[in-house]
Amino acid sequence: MDETALIHSAQTGDLDSFNTLILHYQDSVFHTALRITGDEDLAQDAAQEAFISAFRSISTFRGGSFKAWLMRMVTNACYDEFRRQKRRPTTPLEPDTADGEEIDSPRWLADPNMTPAEMSEAVELEHAIQHCLDALPTEFRAVVVLADIQGMDYSEVAIASRVPLGTIKSRLARARLRLRECLRGFEELLPSSFRLQEEGNS
Amino acid sequence: MKNFRDIEQLSAYLDGQLNPSDSARLESRINTDPELASALSDLRSARSILRKLPKRKAPRNFTLTRQMVGLKPPLPRTFSFFRFSTAFATFLLMLTFAANLLIPRISFGAGAPMMAQEAYGMGGGGCDPCLPEAAATEAPLAIEAAPAATEAPVATEAPALAPSADTNIAPTATAPIATEDTARMAETPIAKTAENTPAPQGQPPAAKETLIPLSWQAVLLAIVLISAATAFIIRQNAKKKWS
Repeated sequence: MDETALIHSAQTGDLDSFNTLILHYQDSVFHTALRITGDEDLAQDAAQEAFISAFRSISTFRGGSFKAWLMRMVTNACYDEFRRQKRRPTTPLEPDTADGEEIDSPRWLADPNMTPAEMSEAVELEHAIQHCLDALPTEFRAVVVLADIQGMDYSEVAIASRVPLGTIKSRLARARLRLRECLRGFEELLPSSFRLQEEGNS
Repeated sequence: MKNFRDIEQLSAYLDGQLNPSDSARLESRINTDPELASALSDLRSARSILRKLPKRKAPRNFTLTRQMVGLKPPLPRTFSFFRFSTAFATFLLMLTFAANLLIPRISFGAGAPMMAQEAYGMGGGGCDPCLPEAAATEAPLAIEAAPAATEAPVATEAPALAPSADTNIAPTATAPIATEDTARMAETPIAKTAENTPAPQGQPPAAKETLIPLSWQAVLLAIVLISAATAFIIRQNAKKKWS
């Protein structure tokens, strides 16, 4: 995929070229939106809005990392969704269990070939991490999602978050500390392969 | 717990974001300070867990449709031409209506006294294109001509020194001649304009005539309708091709 050529075509109004870019980035965009919002429906709405905003303002893209530029659209769309949720709070339609907890649905799992044990581990891990992510302030959450989950470097995160590099360093350090503290509470619940332990070499 | 400045340095060190000199200095501190090493381990563990989080795929495609982004079908250049011609012909048509409605009122209303004054100042004699109203105001010329004729006896006062029956008749004989001449001169425009006004009572026929012929308006209307219809068809065809 010649990303630059596709971007140039999209800037001239070629929707098909932009849709090719969407197909390439939609998993990353959705995953980012999901980790920031913590809700699949909200994440879908945010991802769709992000792509619409991106197409409408693609003429403002002046080169550099397209992914970082796209992630800025996603984080903005997530913030918009949060604001919308605050104005019009909604009740989920998904049924709860007898003790009031949401039923885990395996439909969203990444790999359909996982064994039940792996699936259970993944569900537990994901729930624990998402719980801790949700406990972070929104701006910290966006930074840690972009840097640690999406694997973007600091300069890309700064572009996506529209904050200076120094602020990114600070927020990321605080977010990691808080996550570490939060995940300590889930250590017994986490599968053994995901227990907090020292990495050999990063 | 180390101070936040150390934590920030450790976090940046973990991501390889420190410059070589700062990195070397921090590494030497980590080697000598177990608390700093433990903090680094915690940060590394947190990052490791986040990185091991399973990637979630998009549950559906987020590709955009033209309706979603409000794109309009590309229209050929002929559409612009017909749209412009529709607008321009409509403007001209409105202008013709306005001209036919307003110009007669202006010329036969407020403009008439001015034209009459001009005619009066020029003597008003023998002007074929004079308007009936202007000619009517020339009537005082004929009235003034009569006193001019009565001045004739003054000019012929010399013969009065030798009064006789003949000389008494002479002034009275010249007076009618002068009166006839001046009256003829004064009456000529009126007579001529009277010939040009077949209907002295009621509105003059010139007011009923339109400035822009009706045929012109019909042509403009046809252009408007044809251009508008053609532009509409072009747009519909473009929409069909687009969808």
